[in-house]
Amino acid sequence: MIAPPVPLGWNYERMNAILSQLPVNVMIFCTKEVHQMQIVLKDIRKTFKVYKRPEGKWGLLKGAFMRNVTQVEALAGIGFEIAEGELVGYIGPNGAGKSTTVKVMSGILTPDNGECTIMGKVPWKNRVEHVSKIGVVFGQRSQLWWDVPVADSFDVLKDIYAIPTGDYKTRLAELTATLGVEALLKTPVRQLSLGQRMRCELVAALLHRPKILFLDEPTIGLDAVSKLALRNFLKEENRKYGVTMVLTTHDMDDIEALCERVMVIGHGQLLYDGRLGGLQEKYAPEVITKVNTDAMIAAMYNDLSLV
Amino acid sequence: MNFRSTCKACISLFRIRMAEGLQYRVSAISGVFVSVFWGLLECVLFTVFYTYSDNGAWNNNGLALPQTISYVWLAQGLFVLQTMSIDSEIMGKINNGDVGVELCRPLNLYTHWFVKSSAGKLGTAWLRSLATILAGLLMPAGYALGAPASALGFACFLLSAGMAFVLCSSFAMFVTAIRLNITWGDGPTYMLLLFSGILSGTYLPLRLWPDFMQTFLYLQPFGGFADIPVQLYIGSLTPSAALPAIGLQFFWSIVFIAAGRTIMNHKLKNIIVQGG
Repeated sequence: MIAPPVPLGWNYERMNAILSQLPVNVMIFCTKEVHQMQIVLKDIRKTFKVYKRPEGKWGLLKGAFMRNVTQVEALAGIGFEIAEGELVGYIGPNGAGKSTTVKVMSGILTPDNGECTIMGKVPWKNRVEHVSKIGVVFGQRSQLWWDVPVADSFDVLKDIYAIPTGDYKTRLAELTATLGVEALLKTPVRQLSLGQRMRCELVAALLHRPKILFLDEPTIGLDAVSKLALRNFLKEENRKYGVTMVLTTHDMDDIEALCERVMVIGHGQLLYDGRLGGLQEKYAPEVITKVNTDAMIAAMYNDLSLV
Repeated sequence: MNFRSTCKACISLFRIRMAEGLQYRVSAISGVFVSVFWGLLECVLFTVFYTYSDNGAWNNNGLALPQTISYVWLAQGLFVLQTMSIDSEIMGKINNGDVGVELCRPLNLYTHWFVKSSAGKLGTAWLRSLATILAGLLMPAGYALGAPASALGFACFLLSAGMAFVLCSSFAMFVTAIRLNITWGDGPTYMLLLFSGILSGTYLPLRLWPDFMQTFLYLQPFGGFADIPVQLYIGSLTPSAALPAIGLQFFWSIVFIAAGRTIMNHKLKNIIVQGG
């Protein structure tokens, strides 16, 4: 854990000197700067039931009649706060509870215990209102319609999110231009490559100008060029519009390129919350410089004019 | 989300799903062949039954052979509205956990899926349905689909057929809501679907079932899938009986929608979104 910031030392003598010079009728209000956090999670817990077949010779048969139920604690009291405009990396081994947290924050899953307020509201209480203000990208799932051109999917999303036509046009033009997918709009989704599809997924998730974007392994399976394009785009989007982003990934280069702050989760608990640099100082102090392999591979692809 | 934008979203979803369905034209054509084959088979069977049993003396519910033949073709035409299996897109989403993605949409999941599945059904159904009925009209005299009993009866038939679409869709959603229990598997849903198919009169016109069952057959929900509209067409239900009959279809639609919504909302409270 990172040490809390050292409290400022007050120079009482000097303060008294200033105060004594003030007219008596001036009242001094001491206001604590209230910083409204956009995402607040407190002690969120969620357990799942897992059915296991009894072991042994007759296990298969026995399993048909009785099942052993085990409780698996996916989240064991997670709590953190994220401010508006932050870009947070959320990492941890497989099965640590990353996706579960994202599902809780996007209102899909109701936790067993704990509080969660996002933009001042509980996500699962009014799911429909909540999800109209957030964007979610699941790297392994698609939100586009498989058999029809990409543009048709976007048109449906326009109506689902009730985006005004004018705004939709400018936004679509902007997103497709920065992600370089204008040429793909008339192609059916099933004929897109994974990298192309992922870019289109991003467009789909950002059309309605969400204030928060959850990215669940967005770069999974992408080549170096697509990865870099995606990262640059996310960074730019965050800088321009102050979109808060929470990114779960196993690709540490993603985190390094994008996130100032990292949260590490394991066994359903938050193990680390702080700068990425802090992790490096602790676990890899001897590493001084590191080759950006993705940039290197991308340069090679470009050199061989593969893309 | 207000009502107007929900409607707009629904229309949009309906359109894209129809467009998707229309891409599978070959499946629609093969479906027509199945329907026509099945219809012909039934025509032959009924002709044999009527011919060798003193022109339908074995049933006193007043359904003559030409009426039965018309019934067969129309029932084949309306059959496509019925759900034989849960909408494949929705089924896929339930099984691999994409329900999560659907829940990220600012729409009520029931409304969303209702529109999706009914549009998916209609995407190819109208083509298949019209082609089957056309084939019925072109059959040789003894096996051909006859004219409606009256103009008013035909109007009632159209209205009732529209209602049948709503009823079939709401029943399909009811079954889908039950299927959200992943661990139950396909068994219960297929049983329900088969059961409803038999009671809809598509296999055997409900009027030809035993007398003591007639009241039950009229009141049960599945007759509204095909039997009620078809009977209005062939005139065994008079236009004066149309209002209560269509009312019955409407009533059962409401029941299925209410039940489907309740089950789905209950299920969503403790849903498990599968996969990482």
